[in-house]
Amino acid sequence: MAATAPAAPAEPELDRSGAEDEPRGTEPEEDGGNGQAGPTAGAQQQHRLAKLPLSRIKALMKADPDVSLASQESVFIIAKATELFVEMIAKDALVYAQQGKRKTLQRKDLDNAIEAIDEFAFLEGTLD
Amino acid sequence: MAERPEDLNLPNAVITRIIKEALPDGVNVSKEARRAISQAASVFVLYATSCANNFAMKAKRKTLNAGDVMSAMEEMEFERFLQPLREALEAYKKGQKGKKEASEQKRKDKEKKSSTDENDKSRDEEEEEHMDDEQEGENEGEEEDVEN
Repeated sequence: MAATAPAAPAEPELDRSGAEDEPRGTEPEEDGGNGQAGPTAGAQQQHRLAKLPLSRIKALMKADPDVSLASQESVFIIAKATELFVEMIAKDALVYAQQGKRKTLQRKDLDNAIEAIDEFAFLEGTLD
Repeated sequence: MAERPEDLNLPNAVITRIIKEALPDGVNVSKEARRAISQAASVFVLYATSCANNFAMKAKRKTLNAGDVMSAMEEMEFERFLQPLREALEAYKKGQKGKKEASEQKRKDKEKKSSTDENDKSRDEEEEEHMDDEQEGENEGEEEDVEN
């Protein structure tokens, strides 16, 4: 990782998680949290609460040169928020597909949603 | 390996699954739409991080914490996320506690067996692992806001 984190060595973070690119298909992901609580062989249990791999989220966060350290919790919350974001944008884009009487979500539906919805304004001009 | 933010993608399979679970059955998603959503998600992470980091910097903290992320969500007009995020955070904290107890138990077992040298080493590792939780408890307490 490029020199973004001056405080680097003591990364308060989860490379130990091993929750990297595991194919999560095998695990029951259903996010109602079926009492993920089993404090058993633990490290991976946590990450069932987030579908996105925290290590990847963290890598993205560290790409910001102003960010030195991030708590585990903050990484988790951003992962979770990103999941909610994906759900939201997919649903909002679907409205446009349905207007076009289509059952397949297309790129232009995304573009329409981004243009129309205030919360997505930050995305304008950022997608290929 | 120079990683630009744009190069860091989130795993396609996971993004696809999240999309599928959000949409009704029978709806498909084109590859381009999926790719765009994945990119948007990465941009979201970057933007949220930057926003959260501003709150941390304002509070003169070097460590970004969960409360900062919550504040960022509000600022970004994603208030609708706050409640589910609070709930998820609670569940996460509980899980973390269990993990901490498990690894402290492991450490105690180790101490019984081995020499001090090994202990110092393993203790260092564990402190790094937990460092942010403990530090935040001592230094910051902003996270109380989150729990409210």
